[in-house]
Amino acid sequence: MEEIKAYIESGILELYIIGELTQDERLEVENMAAKYPAVKNELTEIEGALEGYVDQQAIAPAENLREKILKSVQYSGNDVEAKVITMPSKGGFTFYKYAFAASVVILLVSWAALFNVYNKLEDTKLEMLALQSSNQKYANQANFFDKQLADSKQALEVLANPDFKMVKLAGTKNSPLSSITVAFNSKKQDVMIDMTSMNMPENDHDHQYQLWAMVDGKPVDLGVFDMAADTTGMKRMKAIGNAQAFAVTLEKRGGNQSPTMKLMMVMGSI
Amino acid sequence: MSKTKKIKLSETELIDALRGKQKIAMEALYDMYSASLHGIIIRIVPQDEIAEDLLQETFVKIWNSFPSFDSSKGRLFTWMVNIARNVSIDKIRSKDYRNNSKNQDLENTVNYVDERRNTSINPEVLGVKDLVEKLKPEQKSILDLVYFKGYTHVEAAEELDIPLGTVKTRLRMAIITLRKYFN
Repeated sequence: MEEIKAYIESGILELYIIGELTQDERLEVENMAAKYPAVKNELTEIEGALEGYVDQQAIAPAENLREKILKSVQYSGNDVEAKVITMPSKGGFTFYKYAFAASVVILLVSWAALFNVYNKLEDTKLEMLALQSSNQKYANQANFFDKQLADSKQALEVLANPDFKMVKLAGTKNSPLSSITVAFNSKKQDVMIDMTSMNMPENDHDHQYQLWAMVDGKPVDLGVFDMAADTTGMKRMKAIGNAQAFAVTLEKRGGNQSPTMKLMMVMGSI
Repeated sequence: MSKTKKIKLSETELIDALRGKQKIAMEALYDMYSASLHGIIIRIVPQDEIAEDLLQETFVKIWNSFPSFDSSKGRLFTWMVNIARNVSIDKIRSKDYRNNSKNQDLENTVNYVDERRNTSINPEVLGVKDLVEKLKPEQKSILDLVYFKGYTHVEAAEELDIPLGTVKTRLRMAIITLRKYFN
């Protein structure tokens, strides 16, 4: 240990740090430092002291020298690119990162809003449909009443008109309970059936009732009509000025040239 | 330029970056050590322009010979300081330098630089005054001769007309004083 102490105190370590030793001497110091922690430690202390001393006396060089010196050495290729290209774009990258995040948030919010609006729209559509259908119902009702009113007015006019003769057609054996009232105006050659008071079995899709006038013993076609539960009003038939009786037969849809007598439903003479 | 952010790295980070020859290593190297190295160079070679060239040469040498740096043998700073010193000493010993600056009295270089720059051992700077007071004049002169003027210890012994052993002892005592102050 005494030897080590003497070695340290010889001043050789200071000269080593300053770089004053020959190659052989340097190797010797390095061997000693590797062998003895005390030597290694002493070297570190000397370095620290001189570093402090040099730092204290630092003189900053001219500022423009930095650029010049930085340009005077060669950097590893990809590093130069990495520094020159990625460093300035770093701000941009963060910007796009945040912009992207913001876009995603806006997109999600938009989706939510859109979904909400869509739901409301659907609700509104349903409400509108309900309103439309009720509106339609009222309109239908109004139309129905209008028609009933018009029919009643027409019927009233016919009934109140003294020129009209009311001819009651009573049921035959084919349909004893049936009855029809025919209004006949010989002056104006007007023949009408009172659909409201008509009492006939409903005809099917293939058949229709046909009204005949008996003129001098011959049947004359006055047109066809249907029996439906809800039919109202006066139905105008073909014109005729002279007739002794009316009769209704059940014929094929569209009517026949001559009546099928065995299917006579009602008849009545004037 | 003054707004340029100075880069600082730990010595380990810096060494790794230097091995990879990354630009950031050179930037950090410059920002961390250019003033210290310049301080050494300009005390040995007081002409601004030459000192700047030498500083550049020093950095290029550090950069290019970095693979030969062995961190197990000492600190990066010591290694770089010695490169700066060697570059500067080579310069003042070169023929063209001696021919061009015959009238420059080397002995007064340190004082000249310090007076002119009004930096370094400036009593007005807190702490440095203590240091100057703690270093005995003979310790400071041997330290400056060897460290800042590029004298070998043999040359310093001749210059100061003292035995070689005394140079070594004084140098050691000076550094021990510094150690007490800095460590």
